[in-house]
Amino acid sequence: MTNSVAPTLVSEASLARLRRAAPALLLLLALALASLLSGSTGGLRLASPDRSHVDQLRRVIGELPSGSLVLIAFDADLGTYAEIRATTRAAIDDLAAHGVRLAIVSFTPEGRAIAAAERDRIIRAGSADPPADLGFVAGSEAGLVRSIESIVPSGAAGETFDAVRQRGGGIGAFDMVLVVSGSDISARSWVEQVGTRLPGLSLVAIAPTFLDPELEPYLRSGQLTALLSTLREGVAYAQAVSAGSASGPGPTVGPLPMLIGMLAALAVLAEAGFRRLGRRGRRPARRRARP
Amino acid sequence: MNGFAGADLAGTLATWVAALATIAVWSYLTGARRLFVLMQHLLAGLATGYLVLLAIRDVLVPRLAVPLIEHPADRVLLVPALVLVGMLVGASWLPRRLMAPVAGILVGGIAAYALGGAVVGTVLPQIAAALPTTGAASPDLVGEVISLAITSLVLLAFLHGTPRGRLTTRAAGVGRWLLVGGIGGWLGFLVVSRLSLLVDRVAFLLGDWLTVLR
Repeated sequence: MTNSVAPTLVSEASLARLRRAAPALLLLLALALASLLSGSTGGLRLASPDRSHVDQLRRVIGELPSGSLVLIAFDADLGTYAEIRATTRAAIDDLAAHGVRLAIVSFTPEGRAIAAAERDRIIRAGSADPPADLGFVAGSEAGLVRSIESIVPSGAAGETFDAVRQRGGGIGAFDMVLVVSGSDISARSWVEQVGTRLPGLSLVAIAPTFLDPELEPYLRSGQLTALLSTLREGVAYAQAVSAGSASGPGPTVGPLPMLIGMLAALAVLAEAGFRRLGRRGRRPARRRARP
Repeated sequence: MNGFAGADLAGTLATWVAALATIAVWSYLTGARRLFVLMQHLLAGLATGYLVLLAIRDVLVPRLAVPLIEHPADRVLLVPALVLVGMLVGASWLPRRLMAPVAGILVGGIAAYALGGAVVGTVLPQIAAALPTTGAASPDLVGEVISLAITSLVLLAFLHGTPRGRLTTRAAGVGRWLLVGGIGGWLGFLVVSRLSLLVDRVAFLLGDWLTVLR
């Protein structure tokens, strides 16, 4: 008779690793299932019922005369752009539908990468008049201030570039600026550096949710003309823009996966709270046990 | 779904690379560190390469080299910029005494822009906007008073190391809790924000890659 150990397909360490990863993997699985079922969740709505911010942006865009010049300052982060992607595209569609002439500029390298990709997408979709590309301006806030004087690259040729040059060649040539915010150059930088130098310029912003507490005061004080800075507002705006067009609102985040994710976050919070309470409850008993 | 990749071969390839990179990053959840570290190196390498290319193609050549070569007499002010670029490139070999003023000018310039903008563009207009309007009754007087009280209490929470009475200490304690509450609210915003990114990535895998989601 020999002492033999039965061969195991999975080692103990691998099992322990999988056990540790199980909650995260289950969450991913739940999100995947929820994404698949998201189309049939009639009772759930992600769009914000408060339409004041949406109406504000729609009114500002609606008041622009046809042929106006609008600058899209694309400085979103690669990490957070997915959250505002649908809103930004809806805003570009909204502006195009009102017959404005668009130009795109970036003051951050990440923003430039996203702007180039978005412009390629618009061209690929067959747009007859894609936004004029003003490129990347280096120097962060100093570059922003320099662009007030001159923003058109020297060799650029085209109808929109000529129109900007005729009006002075700087940011002041535009009737409105749509700031697609990220963490490096946000709408705050525009308010501080451009808004103070060009007080008559209309600044509107789209920002990821984490910037909302920072940007909301500028909207209240009137330094920003309009602001969409939460996911729910973004979805409501995309739906409002698509309501008047034949195409749908485009892919937006579904309400069911968001609900499941929020429930998971609450569960983690509750578990941590109960664990802490349990530890606090055990502490006096240990003290009593000491001699 | 995200619309960045086209339907051609390059687009399909880009979608596959993005999907495999996403799965490789998520493999960290199961403890597979090697793939995750590989992805980190890939990201760092790509970002560095992109930044170098952007700096050369969009900044150094069109805004520095070309104007200096084509119109050297009109662009005398670009000569100090060229010297600055040279000094920054050779910063590790140059003596610190030579580099310190250059770094000082750069940092000082950035700080001046940020500070000047913050005071003129944020602090003063926000104070003006928060002040109760004179004459007619303010439409949101209660809100303004609450805002003033909360701001004062939170500011008191930052009085570290200063001798204070019992009342001030209690007020600072309340201010600290208000601060914690505010940070908690911001964290809630952050959770929603990050969750939407995760949901978007799952939708990318199901929609763009596996095409089971429409």
